[in-house]
Amino acid sequence: MDIESINKIKKTLKKNFPDVELKMDSDERGILTLKGECRDWDQVVQIGHLVAKQKGVKNVVNKLRVPGLDIPCKDYSDYIAMGNKLGVVDDVDVVIIGAGISGCGIARELAKYKMNILVVEMSDDVATGATKANNGNIHPGHAAKPGTLKAKLNVEGNRMYTKWAEDLGFELQRCGAMGFVTSNLLKPALKVAYNQAVKNGVDGAALIDGKTACQIEPGLVKNGLGKAVKQAFWLPTMGLVEPFQVAVALAENAASNGVRFWFNCTVADVITESGKVSGVVTNKGIIKAKYVINCAGVYADEVSAMAGDECYTIHPRKGVIAILDKAKAPEYGALCEHVTMETIKLTLKNKKSQTKGGGMCRTPEGNVLMGPSAKEVPDKEDLATDSESLGYAMGRGDNGIQYSDIIRFFVGSRPADYKEDFVIEMSPISDGVINVGGIQSPGLASAPAIAKMVEGIVAQHAQDNGRPIEKKTDWQPIRKRKPQFRQLSHEEQGELIKKNPSYGKVICRCECITEGEILDAIHSSVIPCSVDAIKRRTRAGMGRCQGGFCQPRVLELLARECGKEWTDINLNKEGSNILVKSNRPVASVKEAKK
Amino acid sequence: MISVKADIVVIGGGPAGLAAALKARQLGAEKVILIERDTELGGILQQCIHDGFGIHRFGKRLSGTEYAQEFIDQTERSDIEIKLDTIVLDVTPDRMIYACNSLEGMFEIQAGAIILAMGCRERTASQVLIYGDRPTGVLTAGAVQRYINMEGYLPGSRAVILGSGDIGLIMARRMTLEGISVLGVYEAMDKPGGLTRNLVQCLDDFDIPLHLATTVTKVHGHERVEAVTIAKLDKNRKPILETQERIECDLLVLAVGLIPENELSRNAGIEIDPATKGPVLDNTFMTSVPGIFAAGNVAVVFDLVDYVSLSGEIAAQGAMDFLNGKIDCDEPYQKVETGENVSFIVPQRVRPSANKTTFFMRVKSSEKTALLECTADGESVLEKRCRYIAPPEMLTFDLSCCGSKPLEVSMKKEEKL
Repeated sequence: MDIESINKIKKTLKKNFPDVELKMDSDERGILTLKGECRDWDQVVQIGHLVAKQKGVKNVVNKLRVPGLDIPCKDYSDYIAMGNKLGVVDDVDVVIIGAGISGCGIARELAKYKMNILVVEMSDDVATGATKANNGNIHPGHAAKPGTLKAKLNVEGNRMYTKWAEDLGFELQRCGAMGFVTSNLLKPALKVAYNQAVKNGVDGAALIDGKTACQIEPGLVKNGLGKAVKQAFWLPTMGLVEPFQVAVALAENAASNGVRFWFNCTVADVITESGKVSGVVTNKGIIKAKYVINCAGVYADEVSAMAGDECYTIHPRKGVIAILDKAKAPEYGALCEHVTMETIKLTLKNKKSQTKGGGMCRTPEGNVLMGPSAKEVPDKEDLATDSESLGYAMGRGDNGIQYSDIIRFFVGSRPADYKEDFVIEMSPISDGVINVGGIQSPGLASAPAIAKMVEGIVAQHAQDNGRPIEKKTDWQPIRKRKPQFRQLSHEEQGELIKKNPSYGKVICRCECITEGEILDAIHSSVIPCSVDAIKRRTRAGMGRCQGGFCQPRVLELLARECGKEWTDINLNKEGSNILVKSNRPVASVKEAKK
Repeated sequence: MISVKADIVVIGGGPAGLAAALKARQLGAEKVILIERDTELGGILQQCIHDGFGIHRFGKRLSGTEYAQEFIDQTERSDIEIKLDTIVLDVTPDRMIYACNSLEGMFEIQAGAIILAMGCRERTASQVLIYGDRPTGVLTAGAVQRYINMEGYLPGSRAVILGSGDIGLIMARRMTLEGISVLGVYEAMDKPGGLTRNLVQCLDDFDIPLHLATTVTKVHGHERVEAVTIAKLDKNRKPILETQERIECDLLVLAVGLIPENELSRNAGIEIDPATKGPVLDNTFMTSVPGIFAAGNVAVVFDLVDYVSLSGEIAAQGAMDFLNGKIDCDEPYQKVETGENVSFIVPQRVRPSANKTTFFMRVKSSEKTALLECTADGESVLEKRCRYIAPPEMLTFDLSCCGSKPLEVSMKKEEKL
């Protein structure tokens, strides 16, 4: 960046943060690196955002620190030592780091080609980061800032979801979304939102009158808003999915097309030789690779730095979501057939926050979701809930929603960069490393378009380097959906049990999940190894008793089918075994077998 | 789909269901079907290997399994049709039951009368708003009991128990005996939640401290629980930050209350009482849907299994009366109001023609001495002196004739007795 632009930014900073002494470095791409000391974490984030907004700034590497505030930083040295000790364990064309929605989507897309693809995931399963902890909205694309990559990929991705759902056999409900105003004075605000949707190319976006709104959304009349609605903004393409189901479907399809998944595998270093990537070092050994696709979520900035390209900083923004009992959905009338957005009045009031909070929506299964909240935190592994955030997610109690209807609340961490846009590109510094970073909302909705874009980057690069990638002739795009007992009629349920009696045994009584479904999940192409992994695939344990009754049964099935001891079965990550030891040593499984 | 008919179908083979099925058969119901979702009868009693069951009914202290076996033996000797490993998927208001198992597949049963006896479930960490991380090692007391007593595994080595209800107390002793150090029992209320005998036998005898008006405010740990933060609560039940203390442990056991499992009941359109979280019952223990009865913890969470069995027998008698056309479903109800110091009462309503009616109730606050009074339109119809009443202990009384006047039950404080 030129001196003039830098000085301008310095001036802006001095004006807004006169007490902060900071050092700024820049490169020719417009990546600004900030160093110095701040008062508190919020200030660190504010400065990062302010700098990212300035003209000519491509992105921000924020190394600002707060005296006395310990910012936990992952120490990779043990992993590197482990990896180096094991040496080269595999040699592939593509390593994808991270099995979230982006990693799984890209794996599935690239599986079309004659390439050896390996997905490495630090956790125990697919969809364990931001992918599992969001409200499953397939946004129409109206909310993203026009001209951003987010806006483009969101609109494209939303369109592509219909095909994804058909091919991969997951549930997609195109419920549509509506924002409405109850005062004529607020109509201009709707117009602004509408114009932005049009600018982004959102399909079917429309401004409609109150009467039409009530026809589309009978819930408005039910809630006594029938006459009050003056105008509404209608987005028919809004969709709902269970996000972990999408990731599982993608991963299973990728796996049946030859993609391999390694779980509990942490990438600790990226090996480059004269500006070209040649592999990664993991705790499971060194994996040689031609392409490294960085879908590492909150750790994406660290992976990029490992490859020698420190070009953005992820600042985790955690959000609490509360899941309410399905039985209560009808009671909460505000939850209509469609996802009804908050009235524009509220949206404007909340405009300051980086992302929406305190919303209400439902899941395809019929649970009500409250939230998320939004809180900037220094620690990427901080997924702790707190009462303030839950209060925010629940809408501060003025909506009649009872805390007693909560069956679970949890935190997701948005992997935000300071541009608050997606970073998807081949690294100009480490050739072969493709960054897929900053994938926060609407990352889920954009996933199909992100996968396509990365496919394009790889294909183009391969072409340019004289080794074009070839399509497989036997690629199978279809993943058949396995039976879901709860969704069948009693006659169909009877037929299913006749074919396979294990569907006649209900393991999770709250969600009506059968042994057959759990066995299907265990014997799938991406094997779930933990109780939570079974939960994400089958819903066993997702109901109101939260596994109180079915956890021992699921654990038993996992141990039996995987040939493991009960004490080896984890709740989720390695080291999270539910049972510590047998209190009847003689009766342990192994002994009994002898 | 297989289609069968039965006089009485009992859903749930725990103590309430067993007693109901046996009584119904004894009273002459020809075809009684007992449906149990587990692989054996007995319900939660199968994991209760401690003693103290059956003092009222059998005059001796049995273990839960022994208590259950008394009923299981009788049931197996009878011609009651037992369906194990069978789940009921739907109950309709016209008494059709849809159920399935691996052997018979899907089947429907047209029942003359139905007795619901599905029991209850435990409240979870989210339901009591425990904040912080969500690692392994946070389990409900019932789940821990199952793991230790039935499956033979320990889920930790240093435990903190939240909630001083009976299950929490029983598990404090049980875990201690299994070599787990139980660091303390924490109770958010300022009075213990369990029976006095359990406080003495499970905590005092093992030197396990009980901390009242204290709760767990945060869980720490990434993979496994590493510690919990506890804090004293002020009068408004808000944590006092200055009293926060971190306790290193690897297991948090929750004994924070039971909730009747009424999903089948709700889907059948049965009215639920917000106070008991069970169906609104009449003097025959019939729900708001004619011919569907409820007994045991699905109706209201009991303290003693003896009462659970009794409630099953009451419901069986009611179901038989219904089958025999002895219940006039059109006869208007008289509501039973809860007066001073009564948190709930079951049954919640009676018919004027009712003969002897057994009531079950709990009080809101403890008293050394109190006067149980039942009034009909303001006029006293029953008075009973009670000593050492407390919310954890259920009270029961019979009323020989309910009459047609509105009833109210109260527990009045008495200065002297």
